Amino acid sequence: MDRREFLKLGATLSAAFGILNLPKPVIAALKKIDPKSIPKLIYLQGQSCSGCSVSLLQAGSPSPLTLITNYSQLAFHADLSAVSGKKALDLIEKYISGKAGDYYLAVEGAIPDKMPEACIIGDKNFAQYLEAAAVTMSGAIAVGACASDGGIPAAEGNLTGAISLREYYKLRNVNKLVINLRGCSVHPDWVWQTIISLVKVGLPTLTDKGSPALFYSRKIHEQCPKYHDFQQEIFAAKLGDQGCLFKLGCVGPDTAADCPNRWWNNSRTWCVAANAPCIGCAWPNFARKKDFPFYRLIEQKQQSVKRR
Amino acid sequence: MKINLGPLTRIEGHLNVETTVENNKIVDAQCMGEMFRGFEVFLQGRNPLDAQQITQRICGVCPYAHAIASSYAQERAYNLKVPPNGRIMHNLIQGANHLYDYLLQFYQLAALDFVDVTSILQYKGKDADLLTLKNWVQAELASGKAYPAAPFLPRLSGKYVNNADLNIGALKHYIESMEIQKKANEAAAIFGGKFPHSTSIFPGGCTQNAKIDLIASYQSLINEVRNFYHNKYIPDVLAIAKAFPEYWNIGASKGGFLSYGLLPLSPEQNSKKVFSSGVLTDGEISPVNFELITEDVKHAMYSSPSGLKVRDSTLTPSPKKSGAYSWIKAPRYQGHMVEVGSAARILVDYHQGNNATVKQLVQKFAAQAGIPPSKINSVLGRYLSRAICGAVIADFLLDESERIDLKGPTIADIKIPSSGEGFGATEASRGALLHYIRIKDQKIDRYECVVPTTWNASPRDDNDQPGAMESALIGTNVKDPEDQIEAIRIVHSFDPCIACAVH
Repeated sequence: MDRREFLKLGATLSAAFGILNLPKPVIAALKKIDPKSIPKLIYLQGQSCSGCSVSLLQAGSPSPLTLITNYSQLAFHADLSAVSGKKALDLIEKYISGKAGDYYLAVEGAIPDKMPEACIIGDKNFAQYLEAAAVTMSGAIAVGACASDGGIPAAEGNLTGAISLREYYKLRNVNKLVINLRGCSVHPDWVWQTIISLVKVGLPTLTDKGSPALFYSRKIHEQCPKYHDFQQEIFAAKLGDQGCLFKLGCVGPDTAADCPNRWWNNSRTWCVAANAPCIGCAWPNFARKKDFPFYRLIEQKQQSVKRR
Repeated sequence: MKINLGPLTRIEGHLNVETTVENNKIVDAQCMGEMFRGFEVFLQGRNPLDAQQITQRICGVCPYAHAIASSYAQERAYNLKVPPNGRIMHNLIQGANHLYDYLLQFYQLAALDFVDVTSILQYKGKDADLLTLKNWVQAELASGKAYPAAPFLPRLSGKYVNNADLNIGALKHYIESMEIQKKANEAAAIFGGKFPHSTSIFPGGCTQNAKIDLIASYQSLINEVRNFYHNKYIPDVLAIAKAFPEYWNIGASKGGFLSYGLLPLSPEQNSKKVFSSGVLTDGEISPVNFELITEDVKHAMYSSPSGLKVRDSTLTPSPKKSGAYSWIKAPRYQGHMVEVGSAARILVDYHQGNNATVKQLVQKFAAQAGIPPSKINSVLGRYLSRAICGAVIADFLLDESERIDLKGPTIADIKIPSSGEGFGATEASRGALLHYIRIKDQKIDRYECVVPTTWNASPRDDNDQPGAMESALIGTNVKDPEDQIEAIRIVHSFDPCIACAVH
């Protein structure tokens, strides 16, 4: 994907999810893109919980008005589209078959690679849409933990062979760029600010895990307001205590994301501000192993709870 | 003639409804849940404290309800004594989640069934938001695109609101509600850590501390949401009801009603609740007994045994099973189909006279609409029920937040026993939610979730009785058998969530 394609992708997503209160140069950069050249976005859900879609509606700066007046770019989203049934399928088919112009694919949820019947849209299984889109789409965005790494459906005990979008395409030798926007759920800013970055400066630096370094390069622990407690060895001994949460199982040291600076829900709060240990929802290994629990109760240290 | 209504949009997840239409009447309907992950299987063998995190991922629309149900179940299994603050914070988080969810359901998911979005083209006022929307729709329609003004157009054929003021007002509130739902979630996140998917909810309470600044912020946000309910949401529901009065007589389910009750008034799980629990059959209320719930799988894609009780449930997927048409199991209460959700919550409470405000609001709005309270079992009744729930919950949350003891603990001291079991029951916004946990050697030995849409969108049971939504659809007249907007309106009134229903 070259810079021009990225600009288009940026404009598509930013229009789809709405942007307001951006710095003037950013708006100027956006305005340089001819609206007629902005391709459409087809947003499909695989094995998902819709949590990422709901999170995108929690974006702070985009006003609902901007969301709506730019939704023309959101050609299809199962949670919001007025159209249903056969008419909806016709619309999706037209894009996926390449007959309705350029489009980008956004995917929320994992792909049940070993049990295709575990995700059906209309008359086809989910994987068939991805297969067809591989030929026609301009690029794809994996929205959230499931699309990026398999997430909860791919946790140990995975019955359906749930895998990520990248993995799905890799297994089929499809060589199109897929941007991983991790988080369970994804932070709304991680989606649309990625796009702003693309629009302003072109291809952003991606981490070796395929996520924009701007948001996913530093560990939560390094940026944590409780880092001082950690250095002073002031540790929370039980849930609800103040102090560094590391001994309760916090995986901030493993998880790369900017939650400590960005915060959530209109920047009102975030997990650690509510004394809740980070459970690593933006970590590629999130929830993966049964013997790697989210929490460690201090009293149970002797009971061989394996942590690494 | 068989017509598939899927992919059925403006709900959560992957739903198809196969309808059989004869002479413009739906003579048969099969609800098909079309996405499966297998939560109960990957919960087995995990640390029990993982459960309130993992089960939230069943549904990103109502994750907090799963966290609460799981926490209740674990509290029983651990025999925890919950401090009053712990239960209050659970309530503050869960209640705010209901307020956001009803907003999303009515405006973003359901409104386009009734409101004529093209009426914006006739808008002559000066509201900046609406003028922007008008200009945008005009530009879109003139653009020559394949699908202009998506996702609002194209739409299904049918009769939409033809009153310009109502259309314009509803469109304005569609826009405003997007801001208001954020405020409800922001309030919940003050104690929940973030939304979706809270990290601070635990069995026995919440890791957030009791602080006066948090309470003040919470109250301010909830008050804004409350005002929106009273000034906009409730009037909009009543206006839609006035424009489509026939929907008081469309979409009734043909069984009883089940509610587990919502928002306990004290830490004890059997305490009185803001909305009471009960089973309503033929006008008679009886107390809920979890042992009377069984799950049939004759028509669901599992080879595991059918008709098992919740605590005995097992799960073996079998996607090619003959005669099966859904990933959703068919839960039954004493062998009978019941409806769960907003209407069940209101009817079960109303019949017991538990909450005086519920009774007063039901009577007031029923009188205004000229219907008996029994008509709550209808498309419009489900919308009216959500409006009443929203008004009652908002007032409760403002009072409840005053009851936080700033000096008291907010969470119990958790010790996981080597074995134990427990049920946790609450009301998600979509209805009765039950979790069951059994612990062996400090690990999850068995976990089972019976979720609201599992009841409502269930396929036929072992006796071939239809589920609640199927029963509500069968017999409905449809003007355009291809589009069936009447059926879509029935389905939307249940607010189905397929990620929940199958999980």
